[in-house]
Amino acid sequence: MAVELSAFERSPRFNRWLDRRIPPSRSLTLSQQSIFIFPTITGFLFGGLIVLLILGAINYQNSLVYGVAFTLGSLFLVTILYTFRNLSGLTIELIAAGTGFVGEDVEFQVRMSRSKGKGREGIQLGWLGAIAQWAELYDTEACTVRLFVPAKARGWLDPGRLLIETQYPLGLLRAWTWVDLGARALVYPQPLFIDQPELIARRGEEGELMDPQGSDDFSDMRTYRPGDPVRHVIWRAYARTDQLVVKEYTSYLDPRLMLDYDRVAGGTEERLSRLTGMALNAARSGREFGLVLPGTKVRPGIGDPHRDSILRALALYGLPQA
Amino acid sequence: MAFLRRNEATEALGIGYQIPRNSLALLMIAQAVVVLPHAAHITPWIIAVGLICGYWRWMVFQGRWDYPQRWIKVLLVVASAIGVGASGKSAFSLETATGLLIVAFALKLVEMKSRRDAYLVIHLCYFIVAAEFLFDQSIGVAVYSVLSMVIVTAALVGLHQLHTRVRVSTSLRTAAVLVMQAMPLMLVLFLFFPRVAPLWSVPLPGGTRTGMTDHVAPGDIAALTRAYEIAFRAVFYGPMPPARALYWRGLVYSNFSQGTWSVGGVSAAPENAPVGAGARADFMPDVSDIEPVSYQILMEPTQASWLFGLDVALPVAHGTSLTRDFRLISAEPIHTMIRYRGVAYPDAPMDLQLPEWLRIRETRLPDDDNPRIIAFAKDLAANTDGNEAFLANVLQYIRTQPFFYTLNPPLLSNADSVDAFWFDSRRGFCSHFAGAFVYMARAVGIPARMVGGYQGGEVNPLTGHLVVRQCDAHAWTEVWLEGRGWVRFDPTAAVAPARIESGLNAALSEADRAVLSSVTGARFEGVPGLRDVVYLFESMQHRWNLWVVGYDTEVQARYLADLLGEVTPTRVGLAMLLGGGVSLALVVVSLFWRRRPMPDHPAQRMFRRFAERLVRSGLSRAPQETPAHFLARVNAARNRAPSDIAPLIDHLDSLLYNPDVVCTKDALRTLRSGLRRLQVDVALRARS
Repeated sequence: MAVELSAFERSPRFNRWLDRRIPPSRSLTLSQQSIFIFPTITGFLFGGLIVLLILGAINYQNSLVYGVAFTLGSLFLVTILYTFRNLSGLTIELIAAGTGFVGEDVEFQVRMSRSKGKGREGIQLGWLGAIAQWAELYDTEACTVRLFVPAKARGWLDPGRLLIETQYPLGLLRAWTWVDLGARALVYPQPLFIDQPELIARRGEEGELMDPQGSDDFSDMRTYRPGDPVRHVIWRAYARTDQLVVKEYTSYLDPRLMLDYDRVAGGTEERLSRLTGMALNAARSGREFGLVLPGTKVRPGIGDPHRDSILRALALYGLPQA
Repeated sequence: MAFLRRNEATEALGIGYQIPRNSLALLMIAQAVVVLPHAAHITPWIIAVGLICGYWRWMVFQGRWDYPQRWIKVLLVVASAIGVGASGKSAFSLETATGLLIVAFALKLVEMKSRRDAYLVIHLCYFIVAAEFLFDQSIGVAVYSVLSMVIVTAALVGLHQLHTRVRVSTSLRTAAVLVMQAMPLMLVLFLFFPRVAPLWSVPLPGGTRTGMTDHVAPGDIAALTRAYEIAFRAVFYGPMPPARALYWRGLVYSNFSQGTWSVGGVSAAPENAPVGAGARADFMPDVSDIEPVSYQILMEPTQASWLFGLDVALPVAHGTSLTRDFRLISAEPIHTMIRYRGVAYPDAPMDLQLPEWLRIRETRLPDDDNPRIIAFAKDLAANTDGNEAFLANVLQYIRTQPFFYTLNPPLLSNADSVDAFWFDSRRGFCSHFAGAFVYMARAVGIPARMVGGYQGGEVNPLTGHLVVRQCDAHAWTEVWLEGRGWVRFDPTAAVAPARIESGLNAALSEADRAVLSSVTGARFEGVPGLRDVVYLFESMQHRWNLWVVGYDTEVQARYLADLLGEVTPTRVGLAMLLGGGVSLALVVVSLFWRRRPMPDHPAQRMFRRFAERLVRSGLSRAPQETPAHFLARVNAARNRAPSDIAPLIDHLDSLLYNPDVVCTKDALRTLRSGLRRLQVDVALRARS
């Protein structure tokens, strides 16, 4: 079930009020201040049943039917306390916001912890428009809930307020709150994997570099290092000197890629998607690569942090600085 | 509904939602449990449909069968409709309504998939639990209902627990705690919620007629006495009359035909119509100088409108009236347990002047029936002087001739049955003797009639109330004598005096007693321990009837007057609020009690305050920082060597963490002075 808003909850007035009532905070402990509670449809039906039973008790002058009606009424009132308590004293904290590509789900990690005492059951957490997640703190006092939000556009994804709700124990009442944990996640453009080798191969002015993993031409000999291909071992030399010597081959290819916005086809988003696909391919093959965007340039480099900074540049290209 | 916006449409369609298995199991158990007590008054058809649906659902639950196809469901609906129609009950009776409810409930069982289905079934469950009370309000049913409600609530709890967590036992425990916590509030509502008169009339449960009937053939009452069920309970406000005076008069049989006595018709004349409570009629005796016997009756349902009272009863309770033949009747048939107050004036005369129409009615006999006993009576009357002497002679005849009092009299044909009894079999039960006695009196022109009701009863030693059972059913006679009115004669006392003095059991032969005890609870009588248990249960049931079942407008008004002094809406409202508040406060305490923080260790408190004060000097303690770390950092901030702070750190650590170190006042003083010096140093540095 995806979390959705009612018309009332969409109104700007409500949201302004909510901002005052539950100000944005990375971590929040729920209390009367922040918990709303109201009967569910089932709760109203239950109320109807109680009225029906009381009418029956009056017309039949039946004390024990009154008894059943009053037991149900008392159950309802006691349940208000139960449902409220199930959220009250919970501390919600954003501990991590993941990253993702457009079209994927981005992960947020929310830590939920409770005060001492009885456990909490049947709690649902969900960002607006995303699938709500069941959670409970029964035997434990804290847990991490992984919540996924569909990434629809590149740039910063702000999932808005997080809905935390419970209908425990009887489903007659719903206690809920909207907390603003200030969460945001970076969404990269949707990668387009189209092989365009002529764009990747770069005849650079910084001289030819050798690809040590190449195997085109024999270039040198050196002592064996673990990991060298066995077929490169010069067995004759081994027989003679008792030392493992390998031949070194080199490909004369320029391994440094410069992903250039101007050299890919399509509109802005398509270009960014293509560049993203290339960047991922390059990173996967371990090549050194850089990025040129109008107005920005990322020098070539390797490694995950480098890849992430390239993707970040692609994600935020042309967007107003948040 | 601004707040009810969840995407429940997909859930309701059952897409992607499955009722948790254990919750489903609980639901099925709950359904079986709530329907079980209804088995007594619904038709076997419905039970059969219910069992088929239940079995089917169980097989679905186990994954062996699929949900039934549409035509099977249609078949089940048709079968149950036929069943309800064939039950012979009226279409608008309570039994039919309950039956239909249970059919719908059973059919819902085989298509219960979505959460919405589950909610519907649970609401129906609660309703059916309440419906059972329309048929039976006994303490046993009440206890059973509380258990049923716990199970139904557990099914509801199961629906809202994490699927992996739902276990039948945890849901049951949670539900039991919830229901228990709801009880104090329920009691407050039960006591204070204003009881009002019925808003509109409703069909009442039929049930089978029990107890006395408006016509009695010889042998009828004997069959009744084999039932151990309670007819009514009586509570006397003053001392209880002796057992031999406890003639609970209920029915007056004036007409005889075809061997059967039946109640006389109500006269059309307005002066002979039944008289309601508080009213006076000419036929009522003058009771101004008679000390009344006052009592209260809690009567089990009979489906008939007659009430029982001691002689001579006057109508005092609301809804009761007195007929021309001095019977108490109720305006409505007794469908549920009722309570009424009775007043009896023991020696008040009935009908000192006998109207002619009544004399004719009470002396009438069929023309050519039982000729031998008529001849016998006329013969006896010819040899005696006066009516009273004649009656005494008849009784003397019964006493001296070989008549037997027995539960198992031989069957007699309807024609000339009185003759057959009096001259041939000579074995009979109370109605045989009473019938023959009335017959002989009428044969010689003395107005006489048979009276039916109960005689005696058993006093429960625990509560002191009188329990009158069906086996106390009895028939006796009334004879009209000049100057005395209607006088009670009990021919049974002549043949079996013990029946009147000490109850039926004492009057029976060994063989009869064996028959009786094999069919009734009388078998407990010989076992002393069991006897006490029976008394205990009986007294509990009696108190339950008095205080719970019988808690109506009148009792509530009395009780609230005792409790509040004066019954005003404000006072009742305040009492309800106060009681409700206290009950809910109890729940709050039990829910939130363990939330209170543990009392601080004094050293911890001291350190925490120290840390709070240092915030002003720009040094705030990070949440993950140990006290030792923080003190070291503060020490660094005042530019001192780490060795200067080491003793204070050691001291604090040992106070906080070493369980062997006792936190004495001296130790705390050392800590306080150390922390204070540190604080002063930091504050001075911050200022400079």
